[in-house]
Amino acid sequence: MPATELAAPPAPPVVAGVPGPAAPPPRRRHRRARLVLRYVLLSVGAVAILFPLYMAVVNSLLAPSQIAHQPPPFFPFHPQWGSYRKAWTDGDLGIYLRNSAIQTSVIVAGQLVTSILAAYAFAFLEFPLKRTLFIVFLMTLMIPFEVTIATNLATVSSLGWFNTFPGLTVPFLATGFGTFLLRQAFLQIPRDLREAAQLDGYGHLRFLWSVAIPLVRPALAALGVFSFLGAWNQYLWPLLVTGNDNSVRTVQIGLKQLINTQLDQINVSLAGTVIAVVPLLVILVVFQKQLVRSLTSGAVK
Amino acid sequence: MTSATVTIPRERAPARHHLLSRRHREWGLAYLLLLPALVVFGVFTFYPFLKNFKLALYQNPPYPGLPMHYVGFHQVTSVLSSTSFHQSLVSTLLYVLMVVPVGLLGGLLLALAAHKAIRGMPVFRTIFSSTVVSSVAVAAVVFGTLMDPVVGLLPWLGIDPHPAILQNPTWALPAVSLIAIWQFLGLSFIIMTAGLQSLPDEILEAARLDGAGGWAMFWRVTVPLVSPTLFFGLVVGTIYAFQSFGQIDILIGPQNSQFTHTNVLLYYVYQALSIQNDPGVAAVLSIVLFAILLVFTLAQLRFLERRVTYAGN
Amino acid sequence: MRHLRSRAVAVVAPLGALALLLAACSSSGSPSTTSGAAAATDATTCSPASLSGSAPVTINFWESMPRANGQTLQTLTDAFNGSQSKVHVNLVVQTNYNDTWQKYQAGLTNGQLPDVVQLQDTDTQGAIDTQSMQPAQNCIAGFHYSVGDLLPRALAYWNVGNVQEAMPFAVSGPVLYYNKLAFQKAGLDPNTPPATLTQLVADAQKLKAAGQGIMGLKLDPWYLETELATANELFVNNANGRTSRASKAVFDTATGTQVFSDLNQMVSTGAAGTNSVAGADSYDNLLGVGSGKYAMTIDTSAALGTVEQLLSQYPNVQLGVAPLPTVQTTPSGGVQPGGSALWVVKKSTPAKQSAAWQYITFLDSTSSQATWSAGTGYIPLRTSAAESATIQNLWATSPQFKVAYTQLTTGVETPASAGAVLGPFDDVRTAIVNAENSMFARGVAPATALTRAQAASDALITAYNRRIGG
Repeated sequence: MPATELAAPPAPPVVAGVPGPAAPPPRRRHRRARLVLRYVLLSVGAVAILFPLYMAVVNSLLAPSQIAHQPPPFFPFHPQWGSYRKAWTDGDLGIYLRNSAIQTSVIVAGQLVTSILAAYAFAFLEFPLKRTLFIVFLMTLMIPFEVTIATNLATVSSLGWFNTFPGLTVPFLATGFGTFLLRQAFLQIPRDLREAAQLDGYGHLRFLWSVAIPLVRPALAALGVFSFLGAWNQYLWPLLVTGNDNSVRTVQIGLKQLINTQLDQINVSLAGTVIAVVPLLVILVVFQKQLVRSLTSGAVK
Repeated sequence: MTSATVTIPRERAPARHHLLSRRHREWGLAYLLLLPALVVFGVFTFYPFLKNFKLALYQNPPYPGLPMHYVGFHQVTSVLSSTSFHQSLVSTLLYVLMVVPVGLLGGLLLALAAHKAIRGMPVFRTIFSSTVVSSVAVAAVVFGTLMDPVVGLLPWLGIDPHPAILQNPTWALPAVSLIAIWQFLGLSFIIMTAGLQSLPDEILEAARLDGAGGWAMFWRVTVPLVSPTLFFGLVVGTIYAFQSFGQIDILIGPQNSQFTHTNVLLYYVYQALSIQNDPGVAAVLSIVLFAILLVFTLAQLRFLERRVTYAGN
Repeated sequence: MRHLRSRAVAVVAPLGALALLLAACSSSGSPSTTSGAAAATDATTCSPASLSGSAPVTINFWESMPRANGQTLQTLTDAFNGSQSKVHVNLVVQTNYNDTWQKYQAGLTNGQLPDVVQLQDTDTQGAIDTQSMQPAQNCIAGFHYSVGDLLPRALAYWNVGNVQEAMPFAVSGPVLYYNKLAFQKAGLDPNTPPATLTQLVADAQKLKAAGQGIMGLKLDPWYLETELATANELFVNNANGRTSRASKAVFDTATGTQVFSDLNQMVSTGAAGTNSVAGADSYDNLLGVGSGKYAMTIDTSAALGTVEQLLSQYPNVQLGVAPLPTVQTTPSGGVQPGGSALWVVKKSTPAKQSAAWQYITFLDSTSSQATWSAGTGYIPLRTSAAESATIQNLWATSPQFKVAYTQLTTGVETPASAGAVLGPFDDVRTAIVNAENSMFARGVAPATALTRAQAASDALITAYNRRIGG
């Protein structure tokens, strides 16, 4: 929680020092009214945001004939939990979740490792072409992935990686953004610490492993959550690279198949959607701070 | 505190003359550490990006496995002058114009409402950020059901366009934009909250107590103060909007996207590549997409650079 | 900052040049397809001789049947696998026809191809143009297979340039599903459903006036093609693309204009509601019959089983099935077949190709077709299958299952009734649906919409042919 927030408007004595209209007598009621208004606004916002997901849950618990009912039901009075089981088994959602878990873990691990290594080099080592290579990393931020799909698809196919986990993951194993984030974090490590480690005979790798990495854990967590989200929610690349079978199909593509094959079973496809999003909501609640940190790098001066 | 008086036990001969001097080993280590990332970038970022320029010059048969033919700039000019390309640009522009400002404004308003340490605020904050974790597939399926003309909410609200909203040339794009706005709200909220938290609260409070209320306060005080953050949000949001793809693919599909005017540039690239088997056309469009995004990615780079202290610190 | 920029340029230039050079030097394209695996002449590749080795052959079949039909297919396949030990077939379920075709094309680059594949009707010319298919004709010759018993029009659809390219398998036709009770309540005779388009329009308006529901018009793209076929008119030139490659569309005729006008009249007067053919609302026309929104709709006969099951839940619905209402009172052509066929992939080894042919002939055999048709509602493709006890019993108890078969065997066998073959079929169909929507949503006149559709189609066909020939 940021420290800059004020709990409540200051008491009248402060106001008295500011030129302007005199404090109106029913100040506390005015303040109360504003507080109530704020809660109302917040609630409206929360309802608006949660509403689509809420309706998804509701519809997933209705029988198909009830869903088409007009006016639409807003609460499942006789919840049909069978749709969840059906989405899991017939809809293969369990397999898709497994595939997504593998794909995401590999990408996150890869991005963390390559970013740590590269960031360390930029932060602590001196070498020829350092500035040039730094710019190369910067340039990767200028080339959005979408611009590379035409050739990447051909490359991956010719490597025999179509419909395999390498095909899904290898193009994403490095990230310029992650490198910069971690470099930033490494640069915060006091020089004294580095020099003391050198005195103790720490080589670079040992320093990296025993000192630097533990010190930048918050940045690692931030990058990890950010990478996780990006990898889990990928749509375009898995669509291009996964094939006919379930062997590597991820949850996002699985949802698309679910909605295509179960057109008359909307409750099942919505159950699948709910299943797909719950892990992410858990992540959000647990890792909110790290997520915010990684998303706002650059937002605050 | 100098390093001149401290010698590392391993070091023996003067660095300059020793083949495996510490400096050289450091160089080797550095290149080794950078190698994995560079290999990935080389193969999957730079090479494909540059190959686009070559692919753009070759015409492709309708099916893979058959040879392609060199046609020079003919393909480039025919793509760039085609009506489907122009339509795609217009759709993309409209889409971005609908998603980004509304999303930013919504995020700002939510952030303002949540910018107070009152009871329950963390819950509201989590709710407001929640859409940032939803994937396009989830958002598409969820909203697609709500917008379905038979089982959705629209008939109950009295909205019953012909053709149905997601096949409607006028309303499909706004519908898809709405989904993107909802998704973008989470990110927008997080960014705006971070921006507000860096503001000096005393100024906000003073202005409010000064009698400046409501909209006047909003436009003349708050917005200018958060404008750098708004700008960052604009850059991030625009890049995000240009990368929209999933909702259109799931809800509208490649067959209908042109007719419903939802054929945004990235979807056009996907169609050319995956449906038409035309990497040449896809390459031309990719280059255009890159050129447009370049402005925004450079801007984003600047934000990142400000936080990146330069080498040699 | 400026330093960084000039550095950037200094880096980009040489790197860029290097990579451009690399890109230019890399191979200029995929190698052209030649007959890969050792194959003598094509006539002997697909023959009993290729199967004469001792080892059993396993083949992969990409099929696109939705769940219920897929189970019938699985049953048939299990029977085939169990009846002999030479050939073992693996069923690989695809989501739908479009996905199968996409995956097949992707397979041409990444090498993941099946040995036999079920492709939809509109992908016929495309499949030929990939140069990756073994024409069924060669297998027919190699195995001395007799096609006399098969329905001529079903065969004719997949016969291009006098070569039987593929074997029909899951064939259906458009039929009119209607609610007899709604008809009754609107004062219409439930046993004489509309037989012409004009009557359809009139009935729709009567039903609307009586508040008994309207026409559910799913925006299927083939209304125009099929109506032209029933009137013995061509869709594209060169005998519907069958004597030589189609080079232009020819559907802008008086008949075509009438079709568009009739559809437009229904929609514009509110006597018909529309839904799309793909996506979340593609079942809405059928669901609507249940909910009372629609009193009738046109859809594929292949859905009959599902439709009966769905509508049996609604007490207000008594299902009737009738042939497609035609433009002419006495059709001079015939309804074209629709559905899918089985293709042998040339890239497989001769043994696998021959094995694939064995499987195909099994699926097209009399008993298989009887089982298949009875279990799915698809049209039995052999006269002997139609005469079998299974089918005769089915038709006796549920005559609605006979409608599509009668439709396919009535009328004349001409290039028009065989249906059209062209490369960019999907895009042309999209252009036609767009034209229809421009009528419905933006009030464009039917004749104008049709002319525009033809112009768009011509452009698509020209562009496609250029990509093929150039």
